[in-house]
Amino acid sequence: MVTIRQFEDGIKFLFLEGVMPGTIHQCQGQEATAVGVCANLRQDDFITSTFRGHGHALAKGLTMQELLDELFGASTGCCHGKGGSMHVGNMSKGMVPGIAIVGGGIPVAAGMALAFKMQKSDRVVACFFGDGAVAEGAFHEGVNMAAIWNLPVVFVCENNLYGASTHISKVMRDTNIARRTEAAYGICAAQVDGNDVLAVFEAGKIAVGQCRAAKGPVLLELLTYRRTGHSRRDPCHYQPQAEREAWCANDPIDRLAHVLKDQGISDDVGLEAITARVVQQFEEAVEIAKRRPLPTIHDLTTDVLA
Amino acid sequence: MRYEMKMPDLAANNAEITVSRWIVEPGQKVARGQPLLDVETDKAVMQVESVASGVVSELCAPAGASVAVGQVIAVIEVDEKKTAPSTGR
Repeated sequence: MVTIRQFEDGIKFLFLEGVMPGTIHQCQGQEATAVGVCANLRQDDFITSTFRGHGHALAKGLTMQELLDELFGASTGCCHGKGGSMHVGNMSKGMVPGIAIVGGGIPVAAGMALAFKMQKSDRVVACFFGDGAVAEGAFHEGVNMAAIWNLPVVFVCENNLYGASTHISKVMRDTNIARRTEAAYGICAAQVDGNDVLAVFEAGKIAVGQCRAAKGPVLLELLTYRRTGHSRRDPCHYQPQAEREAWCANDPIDRLAHVLKDQGISDDVGLEAITARVVQQFEEAVEIAKRRPLPTIHDLTTDVLA
Repeated sequence: MRYEMKMPDLAANNAEITVSRWIVEPGQKVARGQPLLDVETDKAVMQVESVASGVVSELCAPAGASVAVGQVIAVIEVDEKKTAPSTGR
């Protein structure tokens, strides 16, 4: 979680400095969802992701270096510099490059899970999407297919209350996504405190276990909050100050730090050392990423399927 | 070390960015991440955060001025080497 936070904060400043072009969609405040779920996955399990995918990638085992290289457009990036921030992924590490179309990963996840089932494999797909995706047709099609065919998909809805700038209450009469999904599709679903990484881990363990035992699919609705704008160009005025402050006080990293200190597993010195180490790794990776080669004209025709 | 804070790329489609108001003044100490000024883009009024920690020595664009992405908007005397921002390629 510290790696994800420092990575996101670090690239925010690279963007503000003008070193990194384009816009970015960041996940500060949502670190526990990616980490808690992915900690239950094997390398050969898959995840699908969104335009807000840096956290998912780091949690699934991609390195800061391959992500930074990708963000700098280098040919050594996880998508050879052709994907950029919104499409990070690495098939060899079990992450389909992020699909920036809202809800776009959901039918893909169902399809991959169908393949795993037909291959009689026990591999699992965890499919990350936001509350905004629940209003998309792709959500209903993908979840329904997974339900009727008992596919091994953990649908992970990161409910951060806002689809871009629109509050969930403006687009859903019943905002309990777990309850809606359970009632509509007859699959197991649970609403979980998405800022409690241990709770997410426990719920993820049950969900992944069910899917591996061919008792899927499962939907996890993880209640969380995005601390940044929808993208770097969004000032986030629609989030009421009191709401923001309450969620910031409910920070997933601080909460885990309290648990670790209470149980005597770590202390302030140990936790600060983790942050310092991550910051140093990030800074070193940035310096390397800046010197990486860009794709050449010859790369125009590689990685092209059509 | 003198650090020139440039206008970040906050507007879509290279639209104009206007300085609304300065939140800090010359001589003031600022930390990395602290809001320096409000700007107005084609879409919204936004705060621009400082990239460096140090003392503001100069504001280069008055309220009401229109600035381009990449234009220097303030100069900050950076106090610590480790807070110095990276340099772009």
